[in-house]
Amino acid sequence: MAAPPPPGDSTPALVATVNIPPYYGIHDTYVRDGIAFVCAWDSGVIIFDVGNGIMGGTPAAPVRVSSIVTAGGEVHNAWWFHNPVTGEKRYLFVGQEGPGSIGSSSSGDLHVVDVSDLGNPKEVGFFHIAGAGPHNFWMDETGQILYAAYYNAGVVALDVSDTLAGDLSARGIDTIAPGGAGNTYVWGVQRVGGSLYALDMLSGLWRLGASSGHFATGGGGNNVPERYGSDLWVSNGYAYTGTWGFAQRTTGVVGNALKVWRLDSLGAPALVDSIITAGIVTVSDVEVSADGKLLMFSTEGGSGSGFYFYSLADPAHPAFRGQYLVSTGVHTATFGYIGGKVYAFGAKDPSGPELVILDVTALDR
Amino acid sequence: MRRGVRANLPEVARTAVGIVLGLVSSPLAAQAPWLAPGAQAIGVFTQQNPIPGGGSLGEARLVQPVAMIEAGWGRLTLTATADVEGLTIPNGELTIGAYGEGFVDRRHPHTYVHELILAAHDVLGRADGPASLSLALGKGFAPFGPDDPMSRPVERYPVNHHLAQILERALVGAGVRVGPALLEAALFNGDEPENPSEWPKVSRVGDSWSARLTVSPLRGVEWEASLARVHSPEQRGGAGPDQSKWNTSARYQGSDGAAQWYGLLSIARTSEANGAFVFQSQAAEGSVTLGRHTPYLRIERTERPEEERTTDPFRTVRPLLESSILGVTRWTIFTAGYGYDLRPRGPLAVRPFGEVSYARIAKVGSGLFDPQTTYGRTFSWTLSVGVAVRWKMTGHRMGHYLDDRAMSGMAGMRGM
Repeated sequence: MAAPPPPGDSTPALVATVNIPPYYGIHDTYVRDGIAFVCAWDSGVIIFDVGNGIMGGTPAAPVRVSSIVTAGGEVHNAWWFHNPVTGEKRYLFVGQEGPGSIGSSSSGDLHVVDVSDLGNPKEVGFFHIAGAGPHNFWMDETGQILYAAYYNAGVVALDVSDTLAGDLSARGIDTIAPGGAGNTYVWGVQRVGGSLYALDMLSGLWRLGASSGHFATGGGGNNVPERYGSDLWVSNGYAYTGTWGFAQRTTGVVGNALKVWRLDSLGAPALVDSIITAGIVTVSDVEVSADGKLLMFSTEGGSGSGFYFYSLADPAHPAFRGQYLVSTGVHTATFGYIGGKVYAFGAKDPSGPELVILDVTALDR
Repeated sequence: MRRGVRANLPEVARTAVGIVLGLVSSPLAAQAPWLAPGAQAIGVFTQQNPIPGGGSLGEARLVQPVAMIEAGWGRLTLTATADVEGLTIPNGELTIGAYGEGFVDRRHPHTYVHELILAAHDVLGRADGPASLSLALGKGFAPFGPDDPMSRPVERYPVNHHLAQILERALVGAGVRVGPALLEAALFNGDEPENPSEWPKVSRVGDSWSARLTVSPLRGVEWEASLARVHSPEQRGGAGPDQSKWNTSARYQGSDGAAQWYGLLSIARTSEANGAFVFQSQAAEGSVTLGRHTPYLRIERTERPEEERTTDPFRTVRPLLESSILGVTRWTIFTAGYGYDLRPRGPLAVRPFGEVSYARIAKVGSGLFDPQTTYGRTFSWTLSVGVAVRWKMTGHRMGHYLDDRAMSGMAGMRGM
C-alpha cells in the first residue's frame, strides 16, 4: 500500500543535529541510559551524553564524552551489554564492516571495548572469522550470548559471560548459514522468545531455533524472491522487514518495500502486508518502539529518503503517521527513551554526515 | 630565532632569484622564450544499445573541448590545459563500460583546470654528468601508465582509464634521464575529483606516490613500467581503501614514408583494499595513416568494480558510505574506426570519423551485480560518428612534464 498524506500531528520535531567527521561518516547509533554510541567509521565510536547526566547532555544538546577508534576503524554498529547476571555495564561490542562484495564476501572483526569508564574506553578483545565480517547484533543479555549477523558466514552465537580479553575465538558457540552456501548473506538478527529471526539479503526471513546459543533450522526462507532483503524488527507477533535496492534482483524493481509477516512460534513467517514507499531505493533500517505502537524505518537513495513512521494500532497493517525527509538519506535509525519522551536518532548520509535527533513522542501513541 | 629568520630572508631571496635566473639562462641562454598554444574539440553523436535498464539511447555532445598553452624559457616549462567538459557534458559522455568519479556507463567530465604544471629541466646542469634531472610542481598527471586516451586515436575512452592513468592530482615530481631511459616519480594527493570544479585536496599531497620507468631503445619505440600506491582515491576524506597499481605498456610510432604507424599494448592491474578486490586490464590499439585516411582498431579486456547506483542508472553513490562493492564485471570490447583528414596539412586539422564497438559483458566471481538484469543482455553495440577539430594539437601527449626533452619546445611531447 502506498503512503497516504500525513495527518496533522505527524511531523516529527527536529531537536538537534550533530556534525560527524566525514570518514566516511555515521553508520549506526546505539542509545541506552541516555548515552548514544555513534558508530562513525574511521572516526571510531563517539560517545555522547544525550540525557544520562554524566556530562549534562540532553537530546537537544548532546555532549561528547569520549571516543575510541577500534583496530582497523570501519566502525559500523555497536551494542552496550548490560549484564543482568553481574550487574555490570562494562562491555561495548563493536562491529567492523570491512570491504566486501555484497552478496558473497565480507570482512572485518567484532571488537570488544571496556566502557566501564565511559570517559576512557579501551579495546580489550576481538573475534575474527576468516573470510567474513559482522553486521548487526542482538543480545540475549540474560543468557550472556551475543548473536551477530555475519553476512556470508550466516549467524554466529558468542558466549560473552565473565571477563572478555584478547582473542575470543574460543567463545564461539555455534554458527548457521540459513540459506546454505552461496545463498546466505545475513543482514540482521533478533531473538524473541526461543526463536532467533534472521533476515538474509539473499534468502529472506528465517525463524531459527536458538537454545543457549545453539541453532536449529526453523521455518521460512527463500520468501523474498523479487528483491534483496535488508533489516528486520520483530514485535507484537509480527516481523517487519526492509528491502535493499542498490542492485536490482528484478529489472526495474528497487528496495522500496517494507514487508509485514505474521509469526507463530512453530511455523514459517507468513507475509500479510507490505508498504511501498515512493522515491527511495532502499529501506535501510527498521525498528518498533518499545511499547509496540510505532514502527519506524529509514530510507536511502532518492527524493523520498529520510525517516518514516507508521502506527501499529493494527500490527498487521501499519498506518502512516509521519515522515521526516533527509535529502542525502538516512542509513540507520533507532529509538531512544529519555526523560519520558521518545526520540529517533538517525544517521544522515554524507555529504555532511550528521546525527539527527527527532522528538517523536507525539507519534508514539 | 625570529631575528635570525629575518636576517636570512634577503639571502634566501637572492638564492631563489639566482636559481630562477640559472634555469632560464645558461646553457640554454640562446633559446628564446617560446609559447605553443593549442585547442581541440570533438562533436560526436553516439548511439548505444543497450543502456542500463535496457533499450537504446542516442546522444549528440561536444566532448574533449580543450585549450592549452605550453611555454618555455630556458630550462623552465609551463603546461596549462583548460577542459570545459563540465559545461558540455555535465552528465558525462555516453560510454558503456566506463566508470569512475561517480559515473558508470558514462565517462565523467574532467576538471576545468586539467593541467597546470611548472617544470624545471636539467636543473643540475653538468653537475650530474650524463644524467639530466627535471623537477615539476602543479596539477596534472602523475607519472603512471601510457598516454591519456585523449591523446590517442580512438574517440571512445577505454574502460581501463582509472586503472591505467592517475590524473588531475596536485603533485611534486622528479625525473632523471640517462640516455634512452627516463625514471620519473611523484608524490601527490590520492583523492580523485568529485566534480569539474573541484581542486585536489592539498592537505593530502604526499599520501600517494607513483613511479614510471620509460625506455626508448629505438626511435619511435617506447616501453614503460609503472608502479603506484594511491591512498583512498574514492573517498576525499581519506577513509576509503588504498590501491596498489602497476602498469606496463609498449608503444610504437613511426613512418615508413608512405604511412604513419601507431601501436600501443598495455597491461594494467589494480589491487584494492589489500587485495580484497583486484581489477586487471589488457588492451591493444593501433592506427595507420595513409594520406588523408586513418583506420584504427582497439581490443580491450578490462575488469571494473560494480558500485551501488543511485536512482539515475548512470550514477553511483557519492560520497561513498562504505567500502563494499556489488561485484566485478569483465568488459571485452572491440572497436574499429576510420577518420578522414579534410585538412591534412597546416595547424588546423579537421577529421570526420566513425567508430563502432562491440562489447561482451561477463560477471567475474560472485556478488549481487548481474549484467543480464542490469542491461537485459550481456553484449552491446555502440556507434559513434563525429568530427574532431584540432588546432596545433595533433599528436600532443599529455603528462610528460618530467621529460627533459620538453624544454626544447615540444620535443617529446608531440607524438602522433
